[in-house]
Amino acid sequence: MMNYLKSEQYRLLRKKSLHITSLVCFALIAGAAAVLAYFQKTEPGFRYGTTSFYYSNVLGMTALIFIVSFLFNSSLTGRDTAVLKNAVSFGIRRSTIYWSKLLLTFGYLLVISIIGVALMLVLGETILITDDKSVRDFLTALVNMAPIILSAFLFIHSLKMMKVGDIYVFIVLLVIYGFSGGFLRVGAQKLDILRTFYDYAPDTLLGQNLLDFMSHTIEYGYEYWITGIVLSAAALIIGITKFSKQTID
Amino acid sequence: MMETIIQTHQLTKTFHDARVIEPLDFTLRQGEICALIGRNGAGKSTIFKMLSGQLIPTAGEIRLFGKTGQDVADARRRTGFLVETPAFFPNFTAVQNLEYYRIQRGIVEKKRVQEVLGIVGLANQKRKKFNDYSMGMKQRLGIALCLLSNPDCLVLDEPINGLDAEGIREIRNLLLRLNEEQQITIFISSHILAELHLLATRFVFLKDGVIVEDVSKEELQEKSRKQLVLTVDDPAKSSRLLEQEYPDIDYRVLPDGVISIHNHIESSGDINRLLLHNDVSVTEFRVEARNLEEYFLGLIGGELS
Repeated sequence: MMNYLKSEQYRLLRKKSLHITSLVCFALIAGAAAVLAYFQKTEPGFRYGTTSFYYSNVLGMTALIFIVSFLFNSSLTGRDTAVLKNAVSFGIRRSTIYWSKLLLTFGYLLVISIIGVALMLVLGETILITDDKSVRDFLTALVNMAPIILSAFLFIHSLKMMKVGDIYVFIVLLVIYGFSGGFLRVGAQKLDILRTFYDYAPDTLLGQNLLDFMSHTIEYGYEYWITGIVLSAAALIIGITKFSKQTID
Repeated sequence: MMETIIQTHQLTKTFHDARVIEPLDFTLRQGEICALIGRNGAGKSTIFKMLSGQLIPTAGEIRLFGKTGQDVADARRRTGFLVETPAFFPNFTAVQNLEYYRIQRGIVEKKRVQEVLGIVGLANQKRKKFNDYSMGMKQRLGIALCLLSNPDCLVLDEPINGLDAEGIREIRNLLLRLNEEQQITIFISSHILAELHLLATRFVFLKDGVIVEDVSKEELQEKSRKQLVLTVDDPAKSSRLLEQEYPDIDYRVLPDGVISIHNHIESSGDINRLLLHNDVSVTEFRVEARNLEEYFLGLIGGELS
């Protein structure tokens, strides 16, 4: 597995598109802070030059986080999967391929996320109006989001490894992470048990997380982890089971 | 005794209820150059893909270098597979592509990449991106990848596709040299049968997922050495007469009253007399040699695509 990881790392480091995406993300983070700070200084009565508003943009833009996750994962699971036959025919097990690509792309996403969050905190706390609770609240909200983002990343990875088309990957993400709460809420009007599922739906939790952050009532929640773990387990089981039997062309 | 490199037992593949490989028993021994011959759709690539692990067999067993079950994956490391078109990263150069696989395969010597590029004649094109390679160059790079880890066996599916005449000759000489000097066993398919005839020591003919003939080069030469070609006015009556007189006769009825007979060549005079005495008009009667393609067409029927 180590050799496979090293070879994929060799490839990942030579992916210009990946590095460009990372730089664009950092530029957007810095640009948003700069624009808010600029208007805060030049426009009297401008109310959005605060860390709360700045940080809430990250918590509210889960769709963008999913797109970035998709792009990062695609760097090793995109069109180049045709070359997998060279690895399989050398006796590299499908499970090694599945896990190696997952570890590397997730590792890269994690590093970029940590740099991005650090950049946000540095910029937010230095050039925007802040309060003593904003950093703690932001980090708490991020910890709550983390398991759900991880599960989405695992779904992206499994679906990409199964050669599911990009459009279908987005549809699956949209259904699970965008509309499941809405569907369950409608269903709960007829079937009471669905009310519990609604409370644990990813979009319900992500929405609640943002609201709690904005109202400064954010706390660590176990329900985020339950939902994240259940969805992650489902994504892994589907991915590993299907990929282990998949034809490699 | 020669080591058994590849062995299949009742290997079967079914796609959506259609069985494309019938239960297949096959053995390839060390040092052989075995040509797998069949029309498009006969099942050649399916067999290669099952051997390489790209396809999971529906039933049966694969034994590679004596290893079976989960251990087959490890045994694949001793084999270089080139199945269908070579696949590489399009924006990587030849060196970057092979370097990626050198790392993946745990090959310590960095110079091995340059060595194999030199062997396949790509040393001067190593900085070019794979995307910019011609089909022939891509094939050469595919062969270079096969050789990267010093394999004991090569499984090559259409390796000379897209190569020009000189390229074909170079690859043929390379494969013959690898076989002679390093005893590398080769399992190869190609639609260029004349090339296989020059290369292989054994010929396996596949039709609709079934091996219909498995012969050595000597046996093939003997079998394809001669055939009796007759043109008659009544092929149906001729067939009846031939089958009555020679129950084991191997013959084909071709268009325009032509009958080709592949055995009992030594009885050509008797066959001629038999037909004439039974009022069959024989307008042409000759003994001719067949090449591999003609033998293949006689065996499989139809045209080679």
